[in-house]
Amino acid sequence: MQLIIENLNKTYSNGVQALKNVSLTINQGMFGLLGPNGAGKSSLMRTIATLQEADSGSIQLGGIDVLTQKEEVRKTLGYLPQEFGVYPRVNAITLLDHLAVLKGVADKKQRKEVVEALLHKTNLWAAREKNLGGYSGGMKQRFGIAQALLANPKLIIVDEPTAGLDPAERNRFLNLLSELGENTIVILSTHIVDDVKELCTDMAIINKGEVLYKGSPLDAIDEVQGKVWSKRIAKAELDEYRKNFNIISERLIAGMPEIHIFHEGQPGGFTSVPADLEDVYFTNIFKSNRPIAEVTA
Amino acid sequence: MFKEIFKFELQYRKKRAATYIYFGIIFLMCFLAVTTDVVRIGGAVGQVKQNSPMVITQMSLIVSVFMCLISSAVMGVAVLRDFEHNTEAILFSTPMKKFDYLLGRFLGSFVILVFIGCGIWIAFFLGDFMWWRDKEKLLPANLWNYLHPFFVFVVPNLFFSGAVLFMSGTLSRKSIVIYTQGILLLVLYIASQNMLRTLDQKTIAAMIDPFGLRAFNLETQYWTPSEKNTMLVPLQGYVLYNRLLFVGLGIVALVVTYFGFSFNVVRNSLIRRKAAPDDARYIKPDNVRIPVVTQVIDLKTNVQQLIKLSWFYCVSVAKEIPFIGIIISGLLLLFLNALNMNELYGTSSYPTTYSVVSLISGSFNLFFLIVAVFYTGELVWKERSVRINLIIDTMPIPDFISLIAKFIGLIIIYVGLIFLLIVCGVFIQISYGYYNFEFPIYFGSLYSETFAFLILYSLLSIFIQVMVNSKFIGYAVSVLFFIVVGVLGEVGLEHALFQFGSGTLDTFSDMNSYGHFVAPFSWFQVYWLGFTALLFGMAVVFSSRGSESDMAMRWKSGKLRLNRQLITYLLAFGVVFISSGFYIFYNTNVLNEYRSKKQSQKVQADYEKTLKKFKFLPQPKIVESNLKIDIYPENRDFVAEGYFYLKNKSNGSIKDIHIQYNSNKQNIIDYLKFDRKATIREHFDEFEYYIYELEEPLKAGDSVKMSFKQSFITKGFVEKGSNKSIIFNGTFFNNQYFPSIGYNEGFELGDDDDRKKNDLKEKERMMERDDPRGLAMSLFGDDADHIRFQMTIGTAIDQIAIAPGYLQKEWKENGRSYYEYKMDAPMCNFYSIVSAKYAVKRDKWNDVNLEIYYHPGHEYNLDKMMDGMKDALSYYSRNFDPYQYRQVRIMEFPRYSTFAQSFANTIPFSEGIGFIAKIDDPEKDIDYVYYVTAHEVAHQWWGHQVMEAGVKGNAMLSESMSQYSALMVMKHKFPPEIIERYLKYELDRYLAGRSTEQKKEQPLQFVESQGYIHYRKASLVFFALQDYIGEDSVNAAFRRHLANWKFKDAPYPTSADLLKEIKRVTPDSLQYIIHDMFETITLFENKTTEAVFEEKGKDEFEVTLKISSEKMRADSTGMETLIPVNDWIDIGVYGKDEKGKDKLIYLKKHRITEKEHTYTIVVKEKPRKAGIDPLHKLIDRHSDDNTKSLVKKSDPT
Repeated sequence: MQLIIENLNKTYSNGVQALKNVSLTINQGMFGLLGPNGAGKSSLMRTIATLQEADSGSIQLGGIDVLTQKEEVRKTLGYLPQEFGVYPRVNAITLLDHLAVLKGVADKKQRKEVVEALLHKTNLWAAREKNLGGYSGGMKQRFGIAQALLANPKLIIVDEPTAGLDPAERNRFLNLLSELGENTIVILSTHIVDDVKELCTDMAIINKGEVLYKGSPLDAIDEVQGKVWSKRIAKAELDEYRKNFNIISERLIAGMPEIHIFHEGQPGGFTSVPADLEDVYFTNIFKSNRPIAEVTA
Repeated sequence: MFKEIFKFELQYRKKRAATYIYFGIIFLMCFLAVTTDVVRIGGAVGQVKQNSPMVITQMSLIVSVFMCLISSAVMGVAVLRDFEHNTEAILFSTPMKKFDYLLGRFLGSFVILVFIGCGIWIAFFLGDFMWWRDKEKLLPANLWNYLHPFFVFVVPNLFFSGAVLFMSGTLSRKSIVIYTQGILLLVLYIASQNMLRTLDQKTIAAMIDPFGLRAFNLETQYWTPSEKNTMLVPLQGYVLYNRLLFVGLGIVALVVTYFGFSFNVVRNSLIRRKAAPDDARYIKPDNVRIPVVTQVIDLKTNVQQLIKLSWFYCVSVAKEIPFIGIIISGLLLLFLNALNMNELYGTSSYPTTYSVVSLISGSFNLFFLIVAVFYTGELVWKERSVRINLIIDTMPIPDFISLIAKFIGLIIIYVGLIFLLIVCGVFIQISYGYYNFEFPIYFGSLYSETFAFLILYSLLSIFIQVMVNSKFIGYAVSVLFFIVVGVLGEVGLEHALFQFGSGTLDTFSDMNSYGHFVAPFSWFQVYWLGFTALLFGMAVVFSSRGSESDMAMRWKSGKLRLNRQLITYLLAFGVVFISSGFYIFYNTNVLNEYRSKKQSQKVQADYEKTLKKFKFLPQPKIVESNLKIDIYPENRDFVAEGYFYLKNKSNGSIKDIHIQYNSNKQNIIDYLKFDRKATIREHFDEFEYYIYELEEPLKAGDSVKMSFKQSFITKGFVEKGSNKSIIFNGTFFNNQYFPSIGYNEGFELGDDDDRKKNDLKEKERMMERDDPRGLAMSLFGDDADHIRFQMTIGTAIDQIAIAPGYLQKEWKENGRSYYEYKMDAPMCNFYSIVSAKYAVKRDKWNDVNLEIYYHPGHEYNLDKMMDGMKDALSYYSRNFDPYQYRQVRIMEFPRYSTFAQSFANTIPFSEGIGFIAKIDDPEKDIDYVYYVTAHEVAHQWWGHQVMEAGVKGNAMLSESMSQYSALMVMKHKFPPEIIERYLKYELDRYLAGRSTEQKKEQPLQFVESQGYIHYRKASLVFFALQDYIGEDSVNAAFRRHLANWKFKDAPYPTSADLLKEIKRVTPDSLQYIIHDMFETITLFENKTTEAVFEEKGKDEFEVTLKISSEKMRADSTGMETLIPVNDWIDIGVYGKDEKGKDKLIYLKKHRITEKEHTYTIVVKEKPRKAGIDPLHKLIDRHSDDNTKSLVKKSDPT
């Protein structure tokens, strides 16, 4: 089964164009959707999850037209929104059972089994009788994934699942995602490059509604390998370098800026650094941002 | 620091659109209320000007009550805002003082609230300058009249509600608490309003009404129209105490806020949410395998989902604290109201099931409405408010399931609540010791009328919430909807088909059960159900699923939902809606005649314009009525056939006979003919008015026989005002249904405003007392003097039919019962036809047969009625003259009307005013059954032996004389305390009545159909009269009056004739009281200012009283002028009897000639209390300050 997105466009009523001619083909396995805040990731995810309409374009899932046959999509969908809440005065086991009914798990025994398994799986078993209102952020997020996994979905969409989790929680969460079966399409949107690096076989970078890159993370790294250079400079020099080079990232190390630039040949005073996915990400974002930067300058 | 915070708050609010929107709403509402009929808030009646201080104050007050909703929005969020926007951590870590922060926020918001409140007086003030206002109904605008109520009522109200809501918002840090608080305020308000109904609790109600409306009403309850036009309510008495109390409570709320509030960011609420333990670190979930489940998505699953969701929503509402709060408040109100059910003169009725049902709907329906509007909103927004909507929206359930489940969830709530209410109803009945629980009535009423109303409003509210797509605007739109529906009537769409939720079961009667109201009620419910179900279908299409909520996107995804089932659903209910609408229209407008208010007023006006010229045309009079009437109760039809004899009593001959058919369109005249040749010379079909021309004129003294047949046929149902006289069981109608002679003034428009709109001049209510044309006709009209009477009635086999006269024959034929009645002496032309399934109780007083025809089961008060009849007959025949008939019959009729009425030897008596009265304690309860019976029996003398002229003052002869007669019968039967209590009610009702007089208050001798005068004031006046001149003297005057006028034809007597007799028996020294009581409107202001006593020796006490006494004359608008006091007034001293109750130990009339006076009285027992006019014989607007408790004189040393 494949998810094929073709020329998807979406402009909100406030004039913001969230998606511009987005075309993607997503296969089974983990797919990373990388982009900064406001890039259009959530818009794309919600459109696939039948939660909003597109202006034009199409989405096909297997033989299903996602934009019109919403009912069919929902049967095989597991969705974890970027932000969500829960009924505060209901406990985990009750709400999960309630959601399982809505998912169409009609058989009571099966429902009990799957609910219990998921609570174990997400480490919520001990807290199953507690009201969800008392859950910590990480627990709530795990509950979110538990509900997304009800009824063996074929398409799982998780929107920024690791935002706000502490490192240990993030690890456990990613482990859980990686375990999901091979017969499933899992779309993971994130602005954290490491999430994609560690999990995904396939990815796309998206900014301002446009797909900047699609392919595997390894191929992506290959593309920029040997073109990324690094230098530690004085703070005062920063503006000078910004003018002259394509700076893809700046960071402070012990109070001194270290810049990475994208450059075809070796510029003076720079040392070569092995490219990683982050450089790919920033290179793409940088490129797509530049025209606007020039206009505004 | 305080200054900065205060200024910041003002600046912040200044920039908020909400501030101006609230101001705009208040301004617009008030402006429309004074300048148009679209919005109604209180308002002026009769002689009270539209911008009189009274009206402005009342309207300001009502608006200020509603402002507590705005107050909650403005004040509640002043601090809550920081928590909702998560700025509290930043703010509270600054070195700002708690006092400055809270006071700054409070005062800043309060200033804004007062600004919004200014919309009230600005709108009222500007509104009075609008050119389209009727200048005659306005006073010259005086700004102070607008500002005074603003400062006395509006600002304190805003302060109180603001402080309380500020407190709850600040301390709870939850917006939901603020809304609950608003509802609680509302409940307090309604409760205090309800408690005001009985006399004794008025002062408590005045104190506990947080908005001061009740205090205001109490202070102004007896204000006359002229006072209403000129006076502002003074800031004293209950108004002052009430204002102080609630401003004080407001300050207390602020103090509580100060001490209760803490700058801690972490919530320290009372119910702390327990954090769940997270032991994720110790478990390795890697080895857990997620089992494969089968997903079944079919109809069966959908049903399962629907059930599960419905229950889920139902439980989630039932667990809401505010919901439980609303329900408890409602039940509280119900039980409060149950304390004094169906009171009349402070006496309760039996808690029959139908009265408990109406108690329940009366108390609880508002709460049902709140629940329906509020919780549909909550449920529609349930997922979105906790932000779980995106998860739920991706569940593979059909679009309609969620909305339907929400609806069903509410329905389960309603079913449960109604059941709870029934349990409460039974409990109320049990606590009254009444065990006849009629569950079919409980279920039949509550699960039909109330339930239907809940279904309709819930569906409507779901539709509004979905379409508006904003919870709070949704609430606002729902409220707006009620207003708009009201406006529809104003712009001419007043037909019930346009009035959302129209159609009621009307009044339940034990006799007639649900009567003929069931069919129209059901059809209207089907119609509205069709309508709301259509709306619900649209709501399904447009309901927001997913993250986008603008209309275009919802339509885009909505179109996909328009599958075959949904279209079928919409079509099906469309058909239901339209076809039931047509069926209703066919019934109301085709089978029956429908007239809008305007149309029917126009017909009335045209009638007057076209035909008034015939009013005084000499016409023959009816001298005999002989009819055969066939009643078909099951069809609500009757057929009348027979003849009248008409006699020319004028001096000339009469050629034209004017016949007015009954204008009811259900009446069809089959034929009408004379025993000589006659043709219709002119006809006014629109008014059913026909002029017959006799070929040979009717000579003076000659008679003509007029035969006719008419059919009254009920077809289908009408839009409103269905006929409640000819019914399945308990038919009661009178001769007004039959053709009458000449122009009927009763059809004219009475209200001066309506007359003006229809280009008619203002009209006197009655003819002057000396108008010879009035003297020539009796109170029963100019159709006849006395008539010979005979009537045969056929009715259903299981019913008994009764008319005046004596039963001659009774037989059954063709499965029907027939009764033939004949009166053996001339009687007045006013007769009733009654038919119902009756049980009969018989008794005898001397030779007079006493019969009560009653509904089986209504035996409670039959003995009291019998006693009433006997005592009345015996008192009247002893003191006036013998009873003219050999029979008195009382017949029960359904409670659609609540009166009793005397016809010749028959008294139809409403089910609602005596048959279920509960008189437990003869020491305490006023036995109004006995009293009404005595009053009606008195009419056999006053009205039937002596008919009075149809001129001003006429009711003083029949009604007031009957009132006096009944009062005397009561006086000899009951202890004086009961009579005193009764008179206190009469005083209250007189004073309240004159304060709402529409045209002009008349002295008793000129009373013109003013019940508060000819009943209420007359009781007081005649009781005082017999106290002053003696019962025997009054009776002697009555006796003489009777002797002069008994059984006489025209001319008829007037109040002047009775007064002449009364003056004859009144000593010269007291002649002035006749002038005070009958010829003028005289009031007193008697007061005891100081009361002390001194023990002079054994069994000798000296009482010293300082008394103030003023006497006033009022004109027809209630404008008073002081006149010198020179009156005999009671001075009384009370001691205690063995039981510890008050006992009069001294009562004597003293001549009082000065305003201030000191009296010294020596009594032999220890005095407790003393004062002037202690028994309230004189009319005094402040009757509670007449007496004062005595204190022991302190030694001068």
